[in-house]
Amino acid sequence: MNAISTAKKLPIPADALGLLAVPLAMLALWVLVTRAQWVPEQLLVSPTKVIEAVGELWEAGELQGHLQNSLRRLFLGFFSGAIFGLIFGVLMGLFKSMEDYCAPLFNAFRQIPSIAFIPMLILIFGIDETFKIIIVAKAAFFPVALGGYDSVRGIPKNYFEVAKVYQCPLWPLIKQVVIPATVPQILTGLRLSLSRSWMVLVAAELMAADSGIGQMMEWGRQMFRMDIVVVGVFITGLIGFALDYGFKWLESRMARWKMG
Amino acid sequence: MGLVFLKRLKGLVLPLVLLMVWEIASRQGRAYALTFIPIEKIGRSLIETILSGELLTNLLASLGTASTGLLIGGTVGLGLGSLMGLYPRVDKIIGPVFHSFRQVPLLGWIPLIGLWFGNGCLAKTLVVCLASFYPMVLNSYAGIRNVENNHLEVGRVLGASRWQTYRYILIPGALPFIFIGIYHALAFSWISTVGSELLFTAGPGLGGMMQTAQMAAKMDIVIICVASIGVVGLLMNVSLAKLSGHLLRWRSTR
Repeated sequence: MNAISTAKKLPIPADALGLLAVPLAMLALWVLVTRAQWVPEQLLVSPTKVIEAVGELWEAGELQGHLQNSLRRLFLGFFSGAIFGLIFGVLMGLFKSMEDYCAPLFNAFRQIPSIAFIPMLILIFGIDETFKIIIVAKAAFFPVALGGYDSVRGIPKNYFEVAKVYQCPLWPLIKQVVIPATVPQILTGLRLSLSRSWMVLVAAELMAADSGIGQMMEWGRQMFRMDIVVVGVFITGLIGFALDYGFKWLESRMARWKMG
Repeated sequence: MGLVFLKRLKGLVLPLVLLMVWEIASRQGRAYALTFIPIEKIGRSLIETILSGELLTNLLASLGTASTGLLIGGTVGLGLGSLMGLYPRVDKIIGPVFHSFRQVPLLGWIPLIGLWFGNGCLAKTLVVCLASFYPMVLNSYAGIRNVENNHLEVGRVLGASRWQTYRYILIPGALPFIFIGIYHALAFSWISTVGSELLFTAGPGLGGMMQTAQMAAKMDIVIICVASIGVVGLLMNVSLAKLSGHLLRWRSTR
């Protein structure tokens, strides 16, 4: 009786405890293994070392600098790629002739992973900012373009026929028919774009950069500073998580706005 | 017939224009010719790399890494995803850890994997394993969860054993999802093979060949590698789509 009532009273903490049990156990194991020095420090750095490394990087202002550079590249590249992708995809979905001219080339380029373009872009643009922003933009372009294209083509034909009967001009047609019908799929494309952009940016920074989270990790690897590498892995994970979650939250907000 | 032909012709216009712009750019002087390699020279290098076997060796090495990683990562992923789908307790324990590890972009693991396993074959294969592991877990989990309840009830009524339930109800029911998982895993394994080869330059592979060519500023080789990567990716997708269409032909959708 007593046990049941407490379980009923505390449903959320008990559940949260269950969720946290395994991560906490893993953390405890991590502390234990490094404390007892069962594995050499070169192979597994202790959690305290990692926290110290965060403090050290933060005090020196390095962490903020790397973060700022990475996020600036991400947003510049993502927004330019996504906007071009959206315009291109919607136009290709709307106009048959544009589709005939562009779709084969578009589909051919879509097959090639963004990462494979990195060496080519380095040769053309050098290893400065331009190449990183272009590679991020390329990664962002394709999912959004594809989402826009597919969703516009998915609009029932008779919507357009009705618009034609009423002689609806292009802009109201886009605003009142095309946009409401395509927003969900485009948002999904944008979310996919954002996470791909982030991965490609980290890869590009690992390969050629003078700053950024990826470069920080690569430096840590070369200097055998595992603490810094682990900090980098945590931060890339956190940013990836925040971007994805933020976007999902935005999507749910938009869906609610659409309902209301 | 004529219309299809016209459509094909229209599709060729843009690539041809691009090639022409490239060719014109290559004739603007020596500095341009280094980046915009004349098309004729790319063709000659292509024949050269094919005849010397360089392209084939590297291609086979990449395919080997990709398929090993896909096989190991995919199988482990299928196992874990099924377990998580079948037993809510496993899902509760492993789910949060799995989802938090998944947040780190795949290639973000590379420096850590490099510190642990060096930059050879093992490290590359591990990255590819991880790449095919995630989508297989997610999709086999979703597949098992989406098996229709009345199918399970029929099994229970007929007294199916645990293994029979798994073999004759859960696996066929989850198969469409599992194929989506394989589809994603295949694509990711190819991308991550190229990525890991670019970042761990040691050893043969298309990515390594491309990276070496980039260091030596050999644009023709880089372009040949990019094109081969695209063609192989396309062939993989097409053949898997054919295979899944064949294996799932019993489904009465559409």
